Amino acid sequence: MSPRFRWRWWTSVAALALAILLLAAACGGGGDDESAGTTATQTTGGGSTKQQTFPNFRIVYDTGTDYLDPALSYTVQGWGAMWNVYLSLLGYKHIAGPDGATLVPALAEDMPDISADGKTYKLKLRQGLKYSNGKAVKASDFAYAIKRLFLVDSPGVGFFSNIVGAEKFAETKKGEISGITTNDQSRDITIKLTQAQGDFQNILATVFAGLIPTGTPNKDQSTTPIPSTGPYMIQSYTPNREFVLVRNPNFKPTENVPATNPDKMTFKIVEDDSAALQQVINGEGDYDFHPIPVDRLAGVQQKYGDQLKIYTPANTYYYFMNNRIKPFDNVKVRQAVNYAIDRNALVRLYGGLASPTENILPPTYPQYKKHNLYPFNLQKAKQLIQQAGATGTEVEVWGSNRETSQKPVEYLQDQLNKIGFKAKLKIIDASIYWSTIGNQKTKAAIGFADWFQDYPHPLDWFDVLLNGDRITETHNNNYSNYNNKKVNSEIASLKKEAELTDEVNGRWADLDEEIMKDAGWAPYANRQFTDFFSSDIDTSCYINHVLYQLDFSRVCKKQ
Amino acid sequence: MATETRRERAGDSATDLTLDTAAALAEEEHGPIEGRSPWFLAWRRLRRNWVALGSLILFVLIVLLCAFAPIYADRVAETTPNANHVTDRVRVGGELRDVISAGGTFTNENGELRVRPVTILGPTWWHAGGKFVLGADQNGRDVAVRLLYGGRNSLLVGIGSALICTLVAVILALLAGYFRGSTDWVITRFFDLIWAFPVILLAIALGSALAINGFHHFGLDIEAGSLWIPTIVISYVLIPYIGRPLRGQILSLREKEFVEAAIAQGSSARRIMFAEILPNVASSVLVFFTLIVANNILAEAALSFLGAGVQPPSPSWGTLIATGQERITTAPWLTLAPGLAIVLTVLALNIFGDGLRDALDPRAKVRIEH
Repeated sequence: MSPRFRWRWWTSVAALALAILLLAAACGGGGDDESAGTTATQTTGGGSTKQQTFPNFRIVYDTGTDYLDPALSYTVQGWGAMWNVYLSLLGYKHIAGPDGATLVPALAEDMPDISADGKTYKLKLRQGLKYSNGKAVKASDFAYAIKRLFLVDSPGVGFFSNIVGAEKFAETKKGEISGITTNDQSRDITIKLTQAQGDFQNILATVFAGLIPTGTPNKDQSTTPIPSTGPYMIQSYTPNREFVLVRNPNFKPTENVPATNPDKMTFKIVEDDSAALQQVINGEGDYDFHPIPVDRLAGVQQKYGDQLKIYTPANTYYYFMNNRIKPFDNVKVRQAVNYAIDRNALVRLYGGLASPTENILPPTYPQYKKHNLYPFNLQKAKQLIQQAGATGTEVEVWGSNRETSQKPVEYLQDQLNKIGFKAKLKIIDASIYWSTIGNQKTKAAIGFADWFQDYPHPLDWFDVLLNGDRITETHNNNYSNYNNKKVNSEIASLKKEAELTDEVNGRWADLDEEIMKDAGWAPYANRQFTDFFSSDIDTSCYINHVLYQLDFSRVCKKQ
Repeated sequence: MATETRRERAGDSATDLTLDTAAALAEEEHGPIEGRSPWFLAWRRLRRNWVALGSLILFVLIVLLCAFAPIYADRVAETTPNANHVTDRVRVGGELRDVISAGGTFTNENGELRVRPVTILGPTWWHAGGKFVLGADQNGRDVAVRLLYGGRNSLLVGIGSALICTLVAVILALLAGYFRGSTDWVITRFFDLIWAFPVILLAIALGSALAINGFHHFGLDIEAGSLWIPTIVISYVLIPYIGRPLRGQILSLREKEFVEAAIAQGSSARRIMFAEILPNVASSVLVFFTLIVANNILAEAALSFLGAGVQPPSPSWGTLIATGQERITTAPWLTLAPGLAIVLTVLALNIFGDGLRDALDPRAKVRIEH
């Protein structure tokens, strides 16, 4: 062996040994140690109302931001950023707890004057309102904003279809929506509905109903921000990288939309949950929007317990099953899927930060009545598949590349194969997942879905997600294309109820069970989430809003 | 005299092996001088390089282990690579343990909310009768089984793409080197075009574009999750890495007298390229192939790690590292095992490739440039 060769050989061996040592040193111990949890604080009402400004609130966001256009965004991430940017006629109190769902006037002077038959809503726009570009806010801008929803194929069109003339406008895309009349001089806005609708005030408070200048182009304006009415305006947006909100110079605080604390909010979009957490720990960010990775939760609790909050938003995680595509047009197959999934196993996939469920509504709702129709039973599932003649059917299981979606769909694929299917996975990027499965052309047969309430009313669940009369070609939210005439009719009937009495709540609970007997979905969990802050943030200001999670505008820094 | 001269020159080579000649061989074997083919001489040199041979044996061992993955999964681990065992329990050394513990939140005696973290079963090292030898992953799947199946996919993609890449590169290099002129210009520009893009970025772009809908053009029908996608993507982006150096060698051989003699004899271009020129670059091609396999295994791991290669739930060493990184602090075996597998495989191939190069032609300057 020549000296040169000997040297190379020893170098190779040393390099290999060093690599192994480095890998071993970088990794922690084995995964079997139970670590003692320390106190983590569950969210309660709180937050300071006194303004405590600071220059920049750095938020480590995730890839769920679909759009920054109020007509198009329909994710927690999009709305969480924009509810302080695009105000609607009505809004919600900026406080934690159930009272955060209290409707209040935002751009309107007062709550609407509702006619006795519940079909006519009259509001008056506040005087002296200006957009962030200095332009005056007009009553007719509301009519334009609603029209634009139909023109851009917004996922929110279904909320406004009950307005007189809306369906005709949806077909022709020409003219005006006759049911909305406005007067810029008197600032009056009148909305006529075809029939009474119990949740219409909540709908008027959604980001979809945010006022925008008349003439805003009828296409996605995410990267050319629309002038705002809220405390903040969008300064810039680089998709999948970052967006920045700065103070709206023309915003005047009110009792219901109070002065905010951060002068600026920088949303940095980071895909990896662990990287996001580390950035906040390292001081490169102030708040981690991501759920804390399960394997780091114990360590974070121990070291940074004061900076960690755990909360339970109203949510349901489920598998959709497209009723328009075989074999999921067969109720036996859908029931089989429900029998085939072990919901306790799925809870473990979420690190235990979840509760198993077969209900559509989350347990926080007064209309929730727990049912147990589908105990885990693989044998029964197999029998149902055989009875349906679906054994051996090839199916594609859709999911996004986020851990919270990919793990449950990998589980589902395995279970479907166990009961007789030939299931394959289709994993796509999270940023295009919802628009892809919401497009009828995709023909997504079965896959991952979740829902977080837009407002605390059962209509936001049943009418949006399970009403066959609200299925759309694009941006469809009824991913199952569930269309049961009896259910549609009951939803339409309940929609007219102005108040959620015990009797009405009972009907909603029965509807939940009715749909699940028909296996419209395969719900499996209600999840809990974490908010993690840097050590600079004063958590006494913490407001976790019942609808929008962390209220970014109320966060304050330690003095 | 000649042997000593060549020994002096061979002192520049990476090994201590001399260029054996028939005379040296005859002297060694105390026999008459016999003609020996270059391949025989190369084999003799390689045979003495026990490090290279050891590396080859290691690589073959890894291939065999991966090839027998179905037998291991069925007979030893009693599971499949994608089977989830989330709520299963296994007996490890007599103690019943959860594959994935329940975890969850609870309220302690002080009324405070606490979180009990979920834990994943670590390596059982044969204390569970062959189940979960290397532990479980986040979906309760057997890591050892997925490692072996992942190896199959990684090796298939690595070797398959190397074969395609080498074949296409050799043909293009022969055409460019033999015909020269405008043919050479076109082919060289094709190499430059691919080479202008950063390899991994180009591979990610192509892989991601094909990952959703597959490839259904030019009479080809490849589904999105097929291993052909990463195989073709990797082989495409690495063609210039073999093609360019080979083209240079062939251009040089094109000027040799034996080629001119063959032309003068009326041999066809095809015959000259494949019967005269190709055998003279065969040793280089062989070494390139060996080294590019290692390179492609790394490329496949990188692509799969980034989600543009092998699609889930099919395992590959890259996807195993990608899913394992989420649990790197509490379940380090999820990344350590596939990482080590990649290191050993690539190292074995590189060392063998170096040894092969030295054995075939110690003066050869064959390198895969990055």
